[in-house]
Order: sequence, then C-alpha cells, then structure tokens
Amino acid sequence: MARMNAPVSQDSRSPAANPAGGSITARAAEPILRIENLCVEYRAAGSRSPAKRAVDGLNLSVNPGEVFGFLGPNGAGKTTTMNVLLGFINATSGDAYIFGTTVRQPIARQRIGYLPELTYYYKFLTAEELLRFYARIFKIPRTETDRRIDEVLKLVELEHARKRQIKTYSKGMQQRVGLAQALINDPDLLILDEPTSGLDPIGRMKVREIIQRLKTEGKTVFFSSHELGEVETVCDRVAILDQGRLKLVGRVSDLAKQYQLSLEQLFLKVVGYSIPDPARTQA
Amino acid sequence: MKADAAPAPGPAKPAQHTHVAQFSLLLLLTLGFCLATDLNAWFQKWAGNRADSSNLMEIAMGDARRLFANHFFVKADVYFHSGFYPSIYDDQQSFKTPHLAEDSGAMRGHNTGDEATFLGPPRNWIDRFGRQFFPSSHTHLTEGGANGKQKEIEAREILPWLKLSSELDPKRVETYAATAYWLRRIGKVNEAEDFLHEGLRQNPGSPLLLLDLGRLYWESRNDPERARNVWEAGLRNLDKTAKDPRESKDLKEQDKFVREQTLAALAKLEQESHHPDKALALLERLKAISPNPDAINDWINDIRRASKPDPASVR
Amino acid sequence: MSTTLAIASIVIKDLYRRKDFYVLFVLTALITLVMGSVHLFHDDRIVRYLKELCLLLIWVCSLVIAITTTARQIPMERESRTIFPLLAKPVTRTQVILGKFLGCWLACAITLLVFYLFFGIAAMSKEHQWPLANYFQAMVLHWTMLGVVVALALLGSLVFSAASSNTTICFVAVAFILLLGRHLDQVAMQVRQPASGILEVIFFAIPHLEFFDLRDLVVHDWPPVSWWVCFEAMAYAAAYAAFFLVAACLLFRRKALN
Repeated sequence: MARMNAPVSQDSRSPAANPAGGSITARAAEPILRIENLCVEYRAAGSRSPAKRAVDGLNLSVNPGEVFGFLGPNGAGKTTTMNVLLGFINATSGDAYIFGTTVRQPIARQRIGYLPELTYYYKFLTAEELLRFYARIFKIPRTETDRRIDEVLKLVELEHARKRQIKTYSKGMQQRVGLAQALINDPDLLILDEPTSGLDPIGRMKVREIIQRLKTEGKTVFFSSHELGEVETVCDRVAILDQGRLKLVGRVSDLAKQYQLSLEQLFLKVVGYSIPDPARTQA
Repeated sequence: MKADAAPAPGPAKPAQHTHVAQFSLLLLLTLGFCLATDLNAWFQKWAGNRADSSNLMEIAMGDARRLFANHFFVKADVYFHSGFYPSIYDDQQSFKTPHLAEDSGAMRGHNTGDEATFLGPPRNWIDRFGRQFFPSSHTHLTEGGANGKQKEIEAREILPWLKLSSELDPKRVETYAATAYWLRRIGKVNEAEDFLHEGLRQNPGSPLLLLDLGRLYWESRNDPERARNVWEAGLRNLDKTAKDPRESKDLKEQDKFVREQTLAALAKLEQESHHPDKALALLERLKAISPNPDAINDWINDIRRASKPDPASVR
Repeated sequence: MSTTLAIASIVIKDLYRRKDFYVLFVLTALITLVMGSVHLFHDDRIVRYLKELCLLLIWVCSLVIAITTTARQIPMERESRTIFPLLAKPVTRTQVILGKFLGCWLACAITLLVFYLFFGIAAMSKEHQWPLANYFQAMVLHWTMLGVVVALALLGSLVFSAASSNTTICFVAVAFILLLGRHLDQVAMQVRQPASGILEVIFFAIPHLEFFDLRDLVVHDWPPVSWWVCFEAMAYAAAYAAFFLVAACLLFRRKALN
C-alpha cells in the first residue's frame, strides 16, 4: 500500500492501463517531460523574512501519449512549476527537461503548446492574425500556416469570427482562441493551466472533447485543473501537490482501487482535510 | 398635564436655520456686488483700463506680448541671416541691433565685433562635429543667402515674423519702419505704404513712420512735395515731444536719431530740388545734433561750392 | 531574425490601428494648411515660415509617437499578460526587446515618410522646387535620431514601473538634450566646481540629438550636409542605440514577469 505522504508512483506500463484504448501504446521511451529535484524559492524584495519555498524537491515525469493531471490546492506550487517549465522563471535548484532539452533553452518550447489560465491576447489583432504571428515565430512555412490556421479554427469553432478583432470576443471565444494558438504548431506536448476556468458547461465539454481528441492523436497533455470530475474522466495519471511537495502520483484507476475513494475524497485526504464519515453525519 | 403646554421645539428649528442661512447668503451677495462696483472703479484707475481693447491677443497675453513681439522681431533677423545667429550663450556683441533694422534705418546700430565669428573656435570634438549640422557661416538674404545664389526678393521671408511682431506690439514703431523698408526693397511699394499707414493709425504722428513714409514718397513714388510735407510734419512732432519732460531717456535717444535722419533726408531733398538755402539751414540744424559733425560740415561746403555762380558764366 | 520581424510587425499593426497617428497627422496637416493659406502682403511665395512651422510640428508629433508607442510596449505586454503566451514560444527575451525596438523604429519610419511627404508637397506648392536631397537627408537623420529615442524609451520602460512616468522622463530628457545639449559645455565654463565638472560629464555622456536636427538647413535652403558626415552621425547614433538596447536586454532578462 502506498503511503500518503511519500510521493508514490503507480505507473503501469502495460498497454491495458490505457483506458482510452488510444492509437499509441505506452512506450518504454524517455519521458517527454522530466522534472528533477526542482526547487523554487521566492523572496520579497527588501524583505528580511526567510524565502518562501514554492516548490520543494519536486520529481516528476510524464510519458509520451498520456494525459497527466497536475492537481493541488491554491498555492500548492502548480503554476510555479509550470512557469519553470515554460521558462518564465528560473529554478533555484534542480532542473526540468522537455524532450530531453533543458527548459532554460528556448528551443525546448519549439514542440509545445501552452494555454495560460488567464487568456489575454493582442486585442487589436484578429484571430487569424494572431495565429499567423505565432506560426511565424515557430517558423512554419506559409502554405503550412494557412492549412494549420484553417484546421485549428475549425477545431475550436471560431471560423465565423476569424476576421474580427479579439477585443470583440466573449470570454469563451477568447479561451478558444487561446486553445487555437496552443495548437497552431501541432505540438507534441500541451501544457494547459486550468483550461476550463471560467467556461460554461458547454465550453467545458468542448474542451474535454478536444483533450480526448488530442489524446487519440497521440499527443501528450499536461494540465492543471480544479475540476476533479473532469480530471477523473480524461486523465491517465495524476499528481497531487501540496505546499510545494509532491504528495501522490499514480494512475487514476489504480488510485481509486487502492484507496477506495473518489478522486475528490483522495485529494482532500492527501492535503490534510478530514473527510466526515457519512455514517456519523447521518446519525 | 397642562392643556396649554408649549409645543415640541424639534420640527420648527431646522426650518428657521435654513431661512437665516438663505437670508445671510443673499445679504452677503448683495454686499459683495456693491463693493465690487465700487472697488472696480478704483482698480481701473490703478491698473489701467485694458477692457477698451478689442484685441484678444492684447488682453490674453498682457504685457508678455511685448516680449513675444521682440522675440519675433529678432526671429526676422535670424531669417535675414538664414539661420546663422547667436544663441543666448554665444557672443551677441555684433547682434545687439538686428541687422535688418540697422540696414533699414529704423534703429541706430550698436553692434561691435565681427558678426562672422561669434561662435569662436570649436571648444571640443562634439562642438566641431555639431557645427556641420546647423548654419555656421554669415550671410544676408539680400547678398546671396545660404547658397550664394538667392536673389533680393528672398528678403520677403522675413516678413511673416515682422507682421506677427507688429500684431503683438502695435506700439513698436521700428517694426513698421523696418517692414516698410524691406517691402520697398522687394518691390512692394503699395504694401509698404499701406503698412506705414497702418502703423500711423496705431501710432498717430510717429516721426519714425513719417520719415519712412517720406522716403517712400520720394524714392519710390517720385513725389518730393508729399515727402517734404510728411518730413516737416515729423519734425514738428519731434519738437512737440522734445518739450515733454516725461519722455524717457531711450525715447529721447530714438527721437534724436529720427531727427537726424529726417533733417538729412530733407536736406538732401532740398539740395536735389535746387533749394540750397533751405538745404543749408537744415544742415546747420543737423550739425548741432549729429555725432559726425565733420561729415555734415563737408556736406555744407559741397553745397556752398555747388551754389556759387560760375565765374566764366558771369563774364 | 524572422521572430524579431514577427514581433516588429505586431508593433506596426498596433500603431496603425490606434488613433494617435491619424490625429497627429490631421492636426499637423490642418495647422500647416491654415497657415499656408495666409497671404501676407499679397505674396503667396513666402514659404520659410511655413516650412519651419511644419517641421516643428513633425518633430513634435514624431517624438510623441516614438516615445508613447515605445514606452507602453513592455508594460502593456505585462499588464495584459500577452507576454506569457509569447515567451511560451521559442522566443528569447532578447528577441522580444529587439523585436519591440525594430517595430517601434519602423513605425517611426512610416510616420516620417508620411509626414515628410506631406511637408514636401506643402513646400513645393509655394516654392515650386523640391530639393529632394535636403529633404531625404533630413528625414534619414531624423529617423536615426528616433532610433536613439526609441532605444532610450525601451530601456526606460524596464527601469520605471509606470509607462506614464517613463514617457514624461523621456520627453523631458529629449527636450533638454535638443534645446540645451549643444550649450552645456558653455554653461559649464561659466559656473564653479563641482557643478562645472558635473555639467562637463553630462555634456560628453548624453547622446547629442541636435546633430540630427537639420531643420535650419532645410528651412533656409542651405546645401545638404556631406554624406560622409551623415554616416558618421548615424554610426554615433547606432552606438548609443546599441548601448541602450544591450542595457535593456540585460535588465529584461532579470526582470520578473509578474
């Protein structure tokens, strides 16, 4: 039985562990994302108080083709970890690798797509112009760019608004533009930070469908979310972070079987929140 | 309980306070209005009544307009030199009197030093390099200008600034005089005459403007009679103001300059009109006030020589 | 290079989709045309005052566009959080700085092209001549100067937290250099130490933007400056711009994005 407090890996490498029955089998290949002893400290400028450890000795790996849920309460260190992966901040110690390249190198981001939690894009651009701009950064050839733009706009159902400036878009449309720009370079790894945040149920369903579709195409998805119901549905593996430390990691199905708890109940238990006994509350 | 108990005081008090406040306010407003009408008369007496002016610029800018007028007069001189002009940090000895005014006879020149070398030698490599990016050689618009090929008509470029200067300070007569001179130089005699008349409307009887008007009549209109009339009118006005003890030292100096110019012009006119006696009388008056009496003396001798009958013709 | 150019293209799109440029151009054109319609002393060939006025307006407008456009680039990216999806791509922070600089500088080039074209047409309508070499030289040097100003404003946007304070300080600095830069050494000679020493240091340290101001030469029809001297001035400007950009890149690399 895995202990709650020590990070537990419940990795199963058998093809049967892939519930979606996706097109690719689990590979015994190098992890697509590898985090080694990652530590990130923040110290407020001019402050004499000790530095705050946002991430403390995180070790994690994500295999190709899997959908990985990165969970934790607010302030657990999820966004900080993602910021390190994307090169926004430097780690205090430890390192992270994407496709075997350290995240400090910009080339590591050539094959990834990123959807931030708060989606703000250049308001004066149209969706098409925005996608063309990002395609140019990825050095995608012109003909390929035109094809990809048509493809992703169709996928996120924004074809009708492609020539309108983003400042005229609703929140849901902006979220979809965000998804489109994350997919423009046909990435092998998608990093999504709360992809369904602020969306209505229809929007959430559409995002889930897109993630499922990417999974069947063999893409790797690494996302954080507070919607544990969705995580349970789409994720192959999850990791739970609390106060900068990895508390639990493993396959969703295996964890459910082992602890006889739903993901939400397991989450609460891991972060130290006592779950009331249903029998006692009824009495 | 007594039947005729006093009514509760609460509700009546706020209404009373309001009435008192309103009445006080009204009384204060009335008092203020009455005081203002009385004080205004005193203020007008003290500060001068500018309200009579219909010129918005004069009212809005106040006395600052004279500063601006002077600035634009100097700006015209900058244009006269095609941009080659000393800044406030350079040696301005050779530009104390704007050259365009000196050339026009509107002002007596007080310039000393070399106008071409006010910049001095380069102080450092930055100064040396920087001089290639702004005008750094002396030239006049009427002497070829910046490229050495410009014709005298290019002097018209100074006119907008002179016009603006005259709008800002209509009491500055030198502006009208200098402008009229340069208008005549570029062949715009009608415009020069109109401008001088405009100046005389703003400054009735100004001797400097009458002097320039006389020059216009004589040199450009070939009308010596009208020229004589206005010059004599100018001299009469100068005599009147000479008796005014309130006239400032600067004005006295300017009037002296105008008197010299007028007497010289009249003397020249009388000489060319073959009236040597009148010419000599004028030159005697001029000699008394001229800073260069020897030159006047020579002129007097020339006239006397010319007016002596030829011994050969007498026989 | 394509990444830098892509970022630059976004800056240019931002400029022509905002109203600033159009408002300033219309204002300049309106004032110039009104002043040009004035017939002084029945002479419609008087043109230098108009050239001076138009060039002054062009200089003011170009500085407004250069400084305000540049000063808001990085702060706007951070405030609107568009910096995150940008840096999540294979883009370095140095490329972002260079892209922003190139974009703002090219935007200034487009601005100057339009303004100087208008100036040329307005002057030609009165002068009936078109000294192309003079105008072209003035425009090129003006654009070069704006490169230094843009680099300075970009550095300022990383030093000062608010775009408004950066804008104000840049305006004050540029105005100070243009009006007084040439004379600082003269002032230094007239004051006592240590002020004299400080002014001398400032005099030699500041970029002398007045080198690039050919307005007097254009207005008064002086012959064009030697092109060799122009190239020297452009190299001088390039050195200062490079210095400001390197400082900006170094600062941005250490700056927290939040």
